[in-house]
Amino acid sequence: MSPEEKCPRSEALSALVDNELLEPDRGALATHVTGCPICAPVLAEFKQLRDSFVALPEVAAGVDIASLVDRRIAAIAGIAKPQSRPQRWRWWQVGPAALGGALSLSLGVYLGSALMLGSQVTAQPAALQMAAFTAIPPGALCPVLQACNSMGH
Amino acid sequence: MLGSDGPDDDWVRRAQAGDREAFSELVRRHQDRVFRYLLRMLGSHEDALELTQDAFIKAWQALPQWQPEAQFRTWLFRIANNTALDALRRRKLVEFVPLENSFDTPSSEPDPERQAQATQEVRQLEANMKKLAPEHRQILLLREVEEMTYEEIGRVLSLSEGTVKSRLARARAALIEIYARSRP
Repeated sequence: MSPEEKCPRSEALSALVDNELLEPDRGALATHVTGCPICAPVLAEFKQLRDSFVALPEVAAGVDIASLVDRRIAAIAGIAKPQSRPQRWRWWQVGPAALGGALSLSLGVYLGSALMLGSQVTAQPAALQMAAFTAIPPGALCPVLQACNSMGH
Repeated sequence: MLGSDGPDDDWVRRAQAGDREAFSELVRRHQDRVFRYLLRMLGSHEDALELTQDAFIKAWQALPQWQPEAQFRTWLFRIANNTALDALRRRKLVEFVPLENSFDTPSSEPDPERQAQATQEVRQLEANMKKLAPEHRQILLLREVEEMTYEEIGRVLSLSEGTVKSRLARARAALIEIYARSRP
């Protein structure tokens, strides 16, 4: 048999332990319990149970749940923390790079032009440049003098 | 600027307006209580840690529905309790997995013999609590550990005070019965 079945006042006794009974019920039950062989042990067991809960050790998460929750809320909302604004380029940020690039390009064109002007290739007529397709390519030895004068020079 | 020891309501109103720092303050105030409750309901440190976060996320999302008449703690515990019950249903944990050895024993006990006895009693209580039905375990934890009044428990569990009273008595009787059965 359970204590509940044995004692018809278990609800009231439970409330008495919890200090949730109002007068005059509280006083009347307390008086009854002192002389009742059924209710007295039930009340004692309820009180013992309460004491055993008091002995339970404190437990803590051991981590900062607030920061974990905040990160998850930010992720749900699609907000990165710390909140960063989209990067906008300013002219003073790109100016030096643009100037450097332009100078490099100009220097390259200048040097390239100077090399081209100094070379023989540009000075040669178009027909002479096609000499690669003649019977004797440029740089080859002439078997006879006329063979190298195919252009009529 | 609100003091960190001020009432919850002011912080809740700020959080309702989207102030995440105010909500973080609320989390810090209640995280250990919610974690403790979920740990004892579920029996697993990792599960409790994860569900504590879930409960706070749900609270953040439900903040627009919070009414100033509701005490934030009981409102939060209602969410935490539902989170725990959902997890129990999802994982079909009728009998809980063994509690991990994460509970420290009281350190202020000078007598080793008494300390050993106290440790044994705590373990016995934890083991017997695991055998209780979830509705008995939750109401006992809210009363004995969280020290809530019948009215507060009623708000958390959506029960009348009369039902809280009878269910608590039944939960206590059930736990005493488990103690009696576990004795050699």
